[in-house]
Amino acid sequence: MNVKKYLGVAIVACVASVVISACNNTTKIAETSSTTAPAATAPAAEMAGMNHGGGKKININSAILSELDKLEAKLGVPALSNKIQAERPYKAPEDLVAKKVIDQKQFDQIKDLVTIEDVVLTGVEKDADYMVKLGLMKGHLFVARELLDLKKPKDAEPHIGHPVEEIYTDVADQLNERKVKEFKTTLISLEDLVKAGAKDNNKVTTNFKESMVSIDTAIAAIPATQRKDPKFVLQVINGLLDTANSEYGASIADGKFKAAIEYQDSRGFITYVNMLYKEIAAGMEKDQPATHKIVVDNLKQLTTAWPAAMPPATPVKTVAEVGQLIKTIEQNTQKVITVAAK
Amino acid sequence: MFPAAAIQVFTTQLPPALMSNLDSPSERLRQRFLHNPLLQRRQLLKYGLAGLGLTTASLAWQQLQPKPTARIPIVPANSPMMGNSFSPMQTLRDFDYGTVKQENGRTVREFKLVAGNTTLQLNTAVSFNSWNFNGRVPAPTLRAKAGELIRVSFLNRAGHSHSMHFHGFHPAAMDGIKPIRNGTGMIYEFEADPYGVHLYHCHVAPVTRHVGKGLYGMLIIDPPEARPVADELVLIMGGYDINDDGKNELYAFNGVPDYYMMHPIEIYQHQLVRLYVLNMIEIDPAVTFHLHANMFDVYPTGMTLKPSHTSDVITMGTAERHILEFKFKYPGEFMFHPHQDLIAENGCMGAFKVISAT
Repeated sequence: MNVKKYLGVAIVACVASVVISACNNTTKIAETSSTTAPAATAPAAEMAGMNHGGGKKININSAILSELDKLEAKLGVPALSNKIQAERPYKAPEDLVAKKVIDQKQFDQIKDLVTIEDVVLTGVEKDADYMVKLGLMKGHLFVARELLDLKKPKDAEPHIGHPVEEIYTDVADQLNERKVKEFKTTLISLEDLVKAGAKDNNKVTTNFKESMVSIDTAIAAIPATQRKDPKFVLQVINGLLDTANSEYGASIADGKFKAAIEYQDSRGFITYVNMLYKEIAAGMEKDQPATHKIVVDNLKQLTTAWPAAMPPATPVKTVAEVGQLIKTIEQNTQKVITVAAK
Repeated sequence: MFPAAAIQVFTTQLPPALMSNLDSPSERLRQRFLHNPLLQRRQLLKYGLAGLGLTTASLAWQQLQPKPTARIPIVPANSPMMGNSFSPMQTLRDFDYGTVKQENGRTVREFKLVAGNTTLQLNTAVSFNSWNFNGRVPAPTLRAKAGELIRVSFLNRAGHSHSMHFHGFHPAAMDGIKPIRNGTGMIYEFEADPYGVHLYHCHVAPVTRHVGKGLYGMLIIDPPEARPVADELVLIMGGYDINDDGKNELYAFNGVPDYYMMHPIEIYQHQLVRLYVLNMIEIDPAVTFHLHANMFDVYPTGMTLKPSHTSDVITMGTAERHILEFKFKYPGEFMFHPHQDLIAENGCMGAFKVISAT
């Protein structure tokens, strides 16, 4: 079989890797010479990127809309870019036909332009992916801190656990690459302390600080210019918002909060989103006043959905309302991000 | 919620009633005609010329070499959903054979699974925020034949990080331990090996919660030589910790508590029934599976072609699974349940309605 195609195919469904400004020389394409590599041992390389190295092919699994627009323009099919996005993931370029996105004749016209082959994440995309993961970690810890302060170690426990369980393994390779000191041990010892009832308050506070500093140090491995660039920060914000959206949806059933953990997860992410936006607010107000206003207004409304660390008796906002606010922010900031990418 | 694209793969499958137990769509079609000759014309029209060619060939073969066939009651397409987006009555005989491709002379079965969150109506009083694959609990029963290549494209749209961990032989990179973040995906690829009844589930910690929320399903790998024809059914036991207190309050066969008590599973008297049973109850260490008024042959982990022994109770730890075969001597209604009766009485209970053969 055609092994090379499946080297951890990138499926970027939403926002995390949406920007392709990283169209730089360091982008690597999955080498066609790798046919001897058994597919099954392929790294679970995460996602995305563009095939910008040699053939300038468009990766239909990960390309952003403006990139897909080239195909739309070539074939003259209205809204084709959106259709391509909607049918992801693709296991082969021919899936465009199999999934009835386009017909065989149309496919023949663009088959040399498209690929599904994975590329190693580089540049801005890689940084954004990395930062979203660390941002999720921070969000979990923020809400854990609040719950510890409320003397609810049992409620805090899952949020101390999530950074280790869900995220650390996922980001470990990148931490190594960026020469960030290992901090899983720090996170685990904090988890152990909280699991044991968080009895020694001083010890918990010390460990907590150490964990937070570790994550901040990991974030500092991203070049400062990048971290301060509104286009970059907005991408990270959208990654966090999308996750908050899904988790908020998983916290409510029958109009009531049924799963406090997911309410709290999403609260933590929104807390960090607010902090991140604050840092770019001045620049946004100056350069993108219209978008700035929309983001500020929607974010303010959105934040009211999480009035406290423990869920309120009745949700302030429905799942649909939260979804709509997040969508508005994502759509408006997307314009800024996409323009920047061109 | 998951994108329409995710559903498409499954709606293009043949209807569950057609997916009785053989390997290829044409075999399955042939099966159906033999159970129900009246449907022949309509089905032929529906499935078109390609189906016709294959089916005619199969029928010709059938006339030369009569084979035993399974009598399977027709399951109405509108079987009760009890407030959910799927019906356990359909889950029972619903096998997802994937999309079949030939690559370098090898059969590849491609499956698509999307993790999402949906609210389950466990009963009239309790709704539950489930995390699941393709909007159903349990997830689709994936089915392949030993030696084929299985390729699963997994997309996570569920907020938390998730993964797909399959039981069976595969390289470390395909073990599904690595969490896949919300909004991203992964392609798992491995050989269907060994044959038997296996399972897949999310392996992100705390696994108890990820499985308990609904991220689990069955993987059947058929032996190279098909098993004897039978009415084949999937029963997966699950537990629900509805208030995150570390204890299960409700239990179910195939996702919805007490469903098969309210809607007994119809089978035929004297018909060989092949149950694929899996225990996915977290928290409680083990349960039994007990069948009333009968004895079943046990094929441990589905990895033998001959039964190891016969019983009417079998103990299964979490993730343990077997093939159980039996025929009912008498018509009527017969219960099945774990003999941990508190668990049974909290939803893990069902019944067969044995229809007279004559």
